[in-house]
Formats: sequence, structure tokens, C-alpha cells
Amino acid sequence: MKKILVIDDEPIIRTSCERTLAPEGYEVKSADSGKKGIEFLEKEPFSLVLLDLKMPDMDGIEVLNKIKVTWPETKVVMITGYSTVDTAVQALRLGAYNFIEKPFTPDTLISAVKEVFEKSNQDTGDPGPAE
Amino acid sequence: MKNMFSHPEKSIAAKLIIAIGLLMIVVSFVFWYATLKKQEKDIMTIALKYGISFIDFTKQSFRRSMLAFGPEETQNVLENLGTPEGVKKIRIYNHKGRVFFSSYKESIGKSVDKNSVACMGCHVDPEKSPALLQNPKKWSVNKNKGESTTLKLIDSIPNEPACYTASCHAHPKELKILGFVEADLSLALLDEALFKQALALTAYVIIFVLAVSLFLGIILYKIVSKPVNELVYGMQKVAGGDLDYSVPITSVDEMGVLARTFNSMKKDLKAARDQREQWTQTLETEIAKKTEEIRKTHASLVQTEKLASLGRMAAGVAHEINNPLTGVVTFAHLLKKKFQPDSPETQDLDIIIEQSERCSKIIKNLLTFARATPSEKGNVSINDVLSRTIFMLRNQEKFHHIKFNINLEDSRFIIAGDSSQFQQIFLNMFINAVDAMGGRGNITVATRSIKENGKPYVEIEFTDEGSGIEKKYLPKLFEPFFTTKPVGKGTGLGLSVSHGIVKHFGGYIKVKSEVGKGTSFFVRLPLPEKQS
Repeated sequence: MKKILVIDDEPIIRTSCERTLAPEGYEVKSADSGKKGIEFLEKEPFSLVLLDLKMPDMDGIEVLNKIKVTWPETKVVMITGYSTVDTAVQALRLGAYNFIEKPFTPDTLISAVKEVFEKSNQDTGDPGPAE
Repeated sequence: MKNMFSHPEKSIAAKLIIAIGLLMIVVSFVFWYATLKKQEKDIMTIALKYGISFIDFTKQSFRRSMLAFGPEETQNVLENLGTPEGVKKIRIYNHKGRVFFSSYKESIGKSVDKNSVACMGCHVDPEKSPALLQNPKKWSVNKNKGESTTLKLIDSIPNEPACYTASCHAHPKELKILGFVEADLSLALLDEALFKQALALTAYVIIFVLAVSLFLGIILYKIVSKPVNELVYGMQKVAGGDLDYSVPITSVDEMGVLARTFNSMKKDLKAARDQREQWTQTLETEIAKKTEEIRKTHASLVQTEKLASLGRMAAGVAHEINNPLTGVVTFAHLLKKKFQPDSPETQDLDIIIEQSERCSKIIKNLLTFARATPSEKGNVSINDVLSRTIFMLRNQEKFHHIKFNINLEDSRFIIAGDSSQFQQIFLNMFINAVDAMGGRGNITVATRSIKENGKPYVEIEFTDEGSGIEKKYLPKLFEPFFTTKPVGKGTGLGLSVSHGIVKHFGGYIKVKSEVGKGTSFFVRLPLPEKQS
């Protein structure tokens, strides 16, 4: 079972992700801060992390950097409140697989997650895009 | 004229008139005195001459009776001769002074006063010695109070052969002088004439002095007092601030020169005052203009800051609202799956989803609005905006140690647009330059017109002496959020926003940089075709 970690300070986003992805057959865990997310990752491996860009204690970009360094095989999809291509470009440059804009519909989320796994399957398990 | 003499110490003319008057009185008096004396002397000479003739005539008259030794005859002759008004008395006396004959019979037999001219005329001291004076005086003039002047004439009767050979043998031959004839003649007429002359002369002198003084007074009043008063009046006027008053003196003498000099001085003074007033006014206008410029720039800054705040707020609100909106959309979708696709519940949920998406769109528009500065179109002079921006920045603390080398081409470079947008570009450029130089150094600003593909452009150069930009950063320079500044200092939006604005106007930004030497940004904006 694919394990997905949601890191967002907003409970409604975490709940939305859990309720959307669980019925699709994913094991979803969530953390309310970047710090807790890192702790979760240290305990068990996750295939995908859904990461909020703006958080109070640890910035999404920082968490992304940490993940990319420590768990390079883990995919990261950014959740951004700023609907600008520029932010997304920055995130992608830093190693994020993709991004989704808030507010997102369950379909958008599911297709984005599916895309990650389908792609990684095609790549025969090779983690993430080239640096 | 009245003032002149009521306070003579205050008037030059009065002083001059008094001085000259006094001098004339003294001179006239001397002249008057000398003239009178001379006249008196002349008259006396004539009187003397006539007196001597009279004595000679007397001697001739009694010579015959004397020789005939007829004392009565002699007495008669004397009495006859003494009758005219002008003859007071005639006497004949001998060398001892004893009177023998006289027109006044009472004095016969008396002696003459030895201290009178009768003896003193010839003798040094008649009482003691017979010594003679070298220049005998044979006449004297006496003036007794209440009487007319008397001319006393004395002549000797010398001895002669006819006398000592006469039959009477009265005189010995040895005697040289037999006696003396003395005549007292009245000079009353002469006195009167002299008095009348003195009177006339005095009158003439007084009239002369008065006439000269009057004439002098008028002349002095005309050429000194009046012009001086006019000058004083003019000076008082000028001192009182009336610079339009001119002294009305047109004479060519020193007074005229003084008046003209004064008038020209006053004219210069007026010109200087007018110029000063004009300067003050210009300065006030200039200050008002500058104040207005500062106010406008400040207002524009405040406006920009306001918009930026609004942008930040909008972004924050959008971010916050997007979270619940995601929840709404997600749960609406989850709920929808539990109903048949055509059921009324599904339709209702679609409405919820639809409206949520509408909210999302509104937020997107809000963010777009926050990023874009609303623009008021108008004709903007690039040079003017640049000058204004520099003027404003010079007063900022951040720019206190910055020297601006400004080299603007002599054209205004008019572009249709919003001046605040151009100002934003220039502000960003200057702030980047100052940050690159650490707050100290020279910033070169220049505008020039260039041609690119045959189209006119204005190129605005911003050159700093800062740290320069590393080559690897150059491609990312205009990307949003890209910054080399420390965290919290730069937003990484300045250049991207500038880039966006320049692009909007059909222009572009060129960068030239050398690490350690400095950076030049060239903002190129297309100009309207007609303006070259």
C-alpha cells in the first residue's frame, strides 16, 4: 500500500486529503507542522509527501530541501496558496515533483497523486526527477 | 526765507548773509570814515588857503595906516574887516603878547594866552627860552562845545625899511618881527556841509548794505536754501520708503550734480529693491513648486505603500480563505459521491461546488489586483520623473552618502503612461544600486535617445560601483522572489515587477555587470514615432 504523508498546518486541508485519498486505497498520515512531518519520515518511509508551501515554524521550501537531501526517493507535491507559476517553478527547481493550487477539488488531488505513482512506475522505481 | 532767519544756526544761507553783511558793514564804515576824513582835510586846506589870503588882505589893509602911525585908522580897518559873519575877530599884538588892536575893543591891552598857538606856533617853550620850532605852525583849529569850529590864523608882521625909517621912529632896525596879526575865522558853513555829506554817505552805505544783503539773500535762497531743502525732502521721502520720488532740480551747478547723483542713486536703490522683491517672489514660487513636488512624490510613495499593504493583505486573506474553501469543495465532492448523479442532492452539491469555485476566482482576481498597480494614463516625461525621484531620494537617510552623477539628455522623453509606474522602476533601480554599494558611492544616471530597428527608444542608465552580479545569477535576475539580499531584506520582486512594467510598455531591461566593479542597468522604452 502506498503511504502518503500530508504536512499542513491547516486541519481542514489534512482532513480533506485523508478523506479524499483513503477511499482510493492509499495509507494517509498527516502532520500539522514541518517538524512533525520530518519526525514521521524518520520513523517510517513514505512514497509521497503532500507539502504546504507556507507554514509557521518550518517553511515548505525548507522541508522540501530536507526531504530531498535525506529521503531522495520520496516524491513531494507542493500545495500552494499562491496561484503563481513563479512559486511553482521555484519549488519544481528545488526538486518537487509537481504542485497543486488551493483550493483544489478531490479529482485534482487524486489525479495529481496518481500521476506521481504512474510516472514512478514507468521509471521502474527510480525516485524523483533528475536534479 | 522766513525759516532761514528764524533759525540762522540751521541755515547756511543765513550764516553767509550775516557774515557777508557784517563784513560789508565793517568795510563800509572804514570807507565812510576815510572819505569823511579826506573831505574834512580837503575842506580845511581850502579854508586855510582862503584864511591866508584874508590875513594877507588884512595886512595890506592896515599897512598904510600903520606906516602913517594912525592907530585909530588901524582900529577902524580891523573893525571893518571883522564885521562879516565868517570873521569872528581880528587882533594885532606884539612879540610879548600884548594886544594893540582888535575887532573887539574889549580885548585891547590884554595879553594873549602864551600856551596858545600864538606863541606855541613858533616857540618850543615860550615861558623859558626864545628857541624856535623847526616847522612853525601858524594856524590851529578849535572846536568848543556849542560853537562852530574856529580857524585861528596867525601871521607875523616883519620889520622892513619903511618901518624903521618912518617918521614916527616907533621901531628900531634890529627888530625882525614887529608883531602878529591873528584872525579867528568861523567854519560853521563848512561844518554844516561836512555834516550833510556825512549824513548822505551814511544813508548811502546803509542802503548799499541792505540792498546787497537782500540781493545776496535772494540769490542764496534760490541757489542754496531751496535746492538743499528739496534734497532734504527727497532724502526724507526715500528714507521713508518712497523710492518713486525724484528731486526736481535741473540746474547744471554742483546742486544739480548732487540732485542728479541722488536721483540716480535712488533709481539704483529702487532697481535693487525691485530685484530683491522679485527674487523673493521667485524663491517663494520655487519653494512652493518644490514643496508641491515633494508632496506629490510623498503622496505617490504613500499610495504605492498603500497598494503594497493592500496587496499583502489580499494575499494573506486569499491564502487563509483558500484553506476552508478546499475543505468545502472536498466535502461537497465526497458527499456528491453518495448520491445518484441526477438526484436533486447532487444538483445542490454542484451549486455548492460552483459557488466555491466562484469564490476561488474572486480571490485570484484579488491577488492579480494586488500585484498590478492601477495605472492612470497620461503623458509622462521620463526626465522629469527621474529628476523628481532623485530629488526625493536625496532627502532619504539611505541615500545620504550617495553621490548622483546626473547626465540627462536635453529632451523630456514623453511617454504615455502612469508616472508612478515609472517611478517604481526607478526607485527599484536606485534601491538595488545603494544596497549593492553598501550605502556609499556614486550612482550614474543618464538618459539618451537611441534607435533600435529604426525605432526611437529612450535609454535610461543606472550605474553603480557596487559588488556586481555573478554571471550565474544573471538569467534569474528578473524572476520573481529571486534575491541575493539577506532574508527579510529583499522580496525578490523589485526587478521582476520593473521587468513587468517595462515589458508592458514594449521595452526591456539590459544588464551589464562585473563582479567587484559594479553593475549597469539599461532600461529601454520605446518612444512615440513622431517624437525623435
